[in-house]
Amino acid sequence: MLKRLLLLGITSGILAGATALIFQKIYSSSLGVDFSNIAKPGAILITNVVGCVVAAIGYWILDKWLKNRTEAVFNFIFAILTFASILPAFSTKLPLDINSPELFPGLVIPMHFFPVLAYFTLEPLFIKLRHTNPHRTN
Amino acid sequence: MKKLIFSMAALLSTAAVFAFAPASNWQVATGYSVKFVGGGEVGGIFKTFKGTIAFDEQNLATSSFDLSIDVASINTGNGLMNTHAKGAEWFDAGKYPVIHFVSKKITKAGAGYQVTGDMEMHGVKKELTLPFTFQGKGNTATFKGQFTVNRNDFHIGKPGGDVSENIKLDLSVPVVKK
Repeated sequence: MLKRLLLLGITSGILAGATALIFQKIYSSSLGVDFSNIAKPGAILITNVVGCVVAAIGYWILDKWLKNRTEAVFNFIFAILTFASILPAFSTKLPLDINSPELFPGLVIPMHFFPVLAYFTLEPLFIKLRHTNPHRTN
Repeated sequence: MKKLIFSMAALLSTAAVFAFAPASNWQVATGYSVKFVGGGEVGGIFKTFKGTIAFDEQNLATSSFDLSIDVASINTGNGLMNTHAKGAEWFDAGKYPVIHFVSKKITKAGAGYQVTGDMEMHGVKKELTLPFTFQGKGNTATFKGQFTVNRNDFHIGKPGGDVSENIKLDLSVPVVKK
């Protein structure tokens, strides 16, 4: 179980990181702002992978305690933490030589949702979800 | 006697020429910085600074400054704080787009100088005396000044709060001779 969860964490982290890098490229070129010195591509990728692996380990720990209720509690906690993580983006102070700091939250806030989206998207491919109805035919 | 009178007249006229000779004109060069610190997390820069500068260390009487800062160019490093600073409660950049300083008198003060003039900010005009230094080398020079302005004098923000009432300003203005 842990092995599959770690694989899920790494894979979804890479997917989220790659999506974030593509989003950064599109955002920068369409708005003409460059925050690549603040949100460095390497750091974006590593943060996404670490975030998703930590989530996977969190799922494993929760599953030890909660058994059948793991998905519901885990999904709720992951979503709440994701929403909470956007708050610091509004209060971040950038170096004064960076232009248009008001556009910075617009770049990083969507990025904060990529790990949870990637994780939930790939989750059914890696672990058997307990809430799946075994009698469902279609 | 005639010779003496002629010599005196020549001396006086030479002195008058020097006394009323216009001071050198300087143009603000790139690389200037206008920083402010308001305590704690509050601080930033104004990115746009313009001015007409006539300054001659030997002729302070004809030296003068006419400086302006574009309020909308404020950058605190945080978008929300920038918007807040430009808003009606603080600088009200829409209504008062410029911070303007016009000198009245420049005097020598120790190793540096002092300029007395009218500062107009947020629709309030107030006479201030500001210290500064001047370091010149050929056709280039740098003016530097550090001073404190009480924001309450200009009705900027509400008294008290997280932002210090005394805002420290730090100016460094490289110039080139026109």
